[in-house]
Amino acid sequence: MPDLIIETKEVSKLFGGLTAVNKVNLEIPKHSIYSIIGPNGAGKTTLFNCISGFYKPERGEILYFGQPIQGSATDFIASMGVSRTYQNIRLFSNLTAIENIMVGQHTNLKSSWLDAILHTAKFSREEKKSQDEAIRMLKFVGLSGFGDFLACNLPYGLQRRLEIGRALANKPQLLLLDEPTAGMNPHETKEMIKLIRQLRDELEISIILIEHDMRVVMDISDQISVLDYGIKIAEGAPKEIQANPKVIEAYLGPGGAALAKKYQERRRKNA
Amino acid sequence: MNNHPLRKSFQKGLVFGILMVFMVLIGFHVIAATLASKLFGANVLRGAIPEIRFMTYIHVLFGIWAGWSASGRTGRTSNRIFQGLVTGLTAGSFIALFDLIMNYLIQTGTDVRWYLSALSFENMDYFLLNLGQMGTIVHLGIYTATGLAGSALAVFIRSEAVQHGWQNLKSNISTFITRINETLPPFVRKYGKYIFYLIVLAVLFILPAQWGSYWNYVVGMVGLYIIAGIGLNIIVGLSGQLSLGYAAFFAMGAYSVGLINAPNPHHLMWGFWPALVIGIIVAVASAVVLGLPIMRLRGDYLAIVTLGFGEIIRIMLKSDLLINFTGGPHGIHDIHGPKLFGKPFTSDVDYVYLIFVGVALSIFLYDRLQDSRTGRAWLAIKEDPIAAQATGVNLQKYKLLALCIGAAFAGLAGGIFSARNQFTGPNDHTMMVSINFLCIIVVGGLNSILGIILGAFALKGLPEILREVENYRLLAFGALLIIMMLGRPNGLWPSSRPLIEKGDCSQIEENKTDEGGKNA
Repeated sequence: MPDLIIETKEVSKLFGGLTAVNKVNLEIPKHSIYSIIGPNGAGKTTLFNCISGFYKPERGEILYFGQPIQGSATDFIASMGVSRTYQNIRLFSNLTAIENIMVGQHTNLKSSWLDAILHTAKFSREEKKSQDEAIRMLKFVGLSGFGDFLACNLPYGLQRRLEIGRALANKPQLLLLDEPTAGMNPHETKEMIKLIRQLRDELEISIILIEHDMRVVMDISDQISVLDYGIKIAEGAPKEIQANPKVIEAYLGPGGAALAKKYQERRRKNA
Repeated sequence: MNNHPLRKSFQKGLVFGILMVFMVLIGFHVIAATLASKLFGANVLRGAIPEIRFMTYIHVLFGIWAGWSASGRTGRTSNRIFQGLVTGLTAGSFIALFDLIMNYLIQTGTDVRWYLSALSFENMDYFLLNLGQMGTIVHLGIYTATGLAGSALAVFIRSEAVQHGWQNLKSNISTFITRINETLPPFVRKYGKYIFYLIVLAVLFILPAQWGSYWNYVVGMVGLYIIAGIGLNIIVGLSGQLSLGYAAFFAMGAYSVGLINAPNPHHLMWGFWPALVIGIIVAVASAVVLGLPIMRLRGDYLAIVTLGFGEIIRIMLKSDLLINFTGGPHGIHDIHGPKLFGKPFTSDVDYVYLIFVGVALSIFLYDRLQDSRTGRAWLAIKEDPIAAQATGVNLQKYKLLALCIGAAFAGLAGGIFSARNQFTGPNDHTMMVSINFLCIIVVGGLNSILGIILGAFALKGLPEILREVENYRLLAFGALLIIMMLGRPNGLWPSSRPLIEKGDCSQIEENKTDEGGKNA
């Protein structure tokens, strides 16, 4: 059994009578890209919110390095090395790009408000280090030269990258990406795929990805889970998921599997 | 000819006419004329009516304003001037109608002051330029002519030649300034900031001794509002918690100093400085008491709760229940001032120095805090609390910290306030005071020191100087807020974020062309 970074055991989240996430078991190995897919309303983002501490799951356990974290405060989970991005970008719009990243470093910095007032040596050292690191991070996510722009003035694609940069500034071990390529053109998507691979290979971060663009998912995922109505209906490598009739039915409706087979055969013939 | 612009100018004329009539109904035209006469150096006694010519000036200026605003930015010159003419004519006709009514009232001797207290016969006569029936026609003439003149003026000023000249002048001035900057010796260029501070400091040191005590009083008041405004800005501007009960913290400081350092009701007399420190501590403690239960509230709910807190504190101070402890509705009298090196503070000049030190201290603290990890965490909470928490910011800790530091500033300002006035009572800490603090920072510009200073002068200093307009303060506030929202929605002097990366533009251009190339 490979080392697991995070494991969910029978996690359920209810909103009134609606079971948004229903007894989901996930085992996510270290240094991998793990995708969660499923139709709209399947409970993917809810699961993310449970992991990052926005929601407390009613039942089940979330183990981070074997330690239960369900129900802990969001900022505590962040300080343990879990970072995330959002489906609709949530930057600090009236702060500059570099300040956004410096806020992201919050848990790594230790100087208090008294240090700030007295300008202690610790404060100056840390501030300098934080600026240098932020500039390096800007470069890493491809935002060099845009550091002093207000986040709200950046173009859409760069805002997505900045959000990832802010999440990375926390030096996370687990990164939750919620639809990182939504609304991007094919070129930007390709760049984003490159960046996500880089995160795994160079920074050795484990990544959980929610994504609707199947080309992206099939391209970069090591493993995929499929949620439908809050239930995990399939799990496996991209190839297995593509062939799984349950998955196809979840996306295309009943009888979809037969339809998909027909189209695949026709495509094979044409090719 | 297109009908639409004409209709628009007609509407504009009506608006200006109604505005003028409204001002007459509340008697504002006399005040405006008084201010104008003061501007020309004539001295008018309070309540007296100034010379007729000043009313004429007001008419002329108002008409020019109407014509100016009616003249569009584009279109044929003749059309634009014609629009001004129509506006002037409409406004004049409307005012003339009103004149007819006034003339009727004057002739029949109907006193309407029962309903409109400002509409006395003198005021009506004054508005009609003491011309009676003729005034109606004169008004019509003045407004038509000035509407025409205003639009012509607008056409001239907005013409390309004038705009071009203005741009030239501006660029000439800026090149002149940069040239001067280049010729300055490197020593001055490097330490110019500190030299500037020194000069400011010297001016601030010399000025109060030269001013009269009235000016010192006004400036001291403004200074106290700056200190408190900066504190409130930490709560509202940095950490984004809309607080409407800030006067409560101010009251904590004021009452602590009062209770500890006055003969009645306790006769403790521990001295001003310990009292001030205790005042600050009490303010911070009350912030903790208020802050802990409301940490989860946001926006409107937070505003309501803090508003309630402010009122509870004021009513408690006023109540008979605590009369033996706080002095009740009468407040605390004979609060003793500070002593420094054995010398007691006696004049307003001493207090102004003390307040200047307080202002400098608050600016210093604010500046250091906002450019730190703490300040960035606050701003992040303000922008998006959920995302801030997910990046590891402890919301409760930082919100409470902001509330406490902000309250400390209020305690400081309140303590100095009560010692300077030698009195404090519940009426010094009404909800209006909280609203005033908030107005100052919003009008000046959130998170901008210069903005807060400007705001304090505009909202606290100007009303003190312009005593004539006192009755119209709320009117002026309303007008000011509307103008601000339209013209400068981010405040008089909006804040800007510090440049940290200092990325040069060439690099960005390179990046852009790079991406462009890839896209192609």
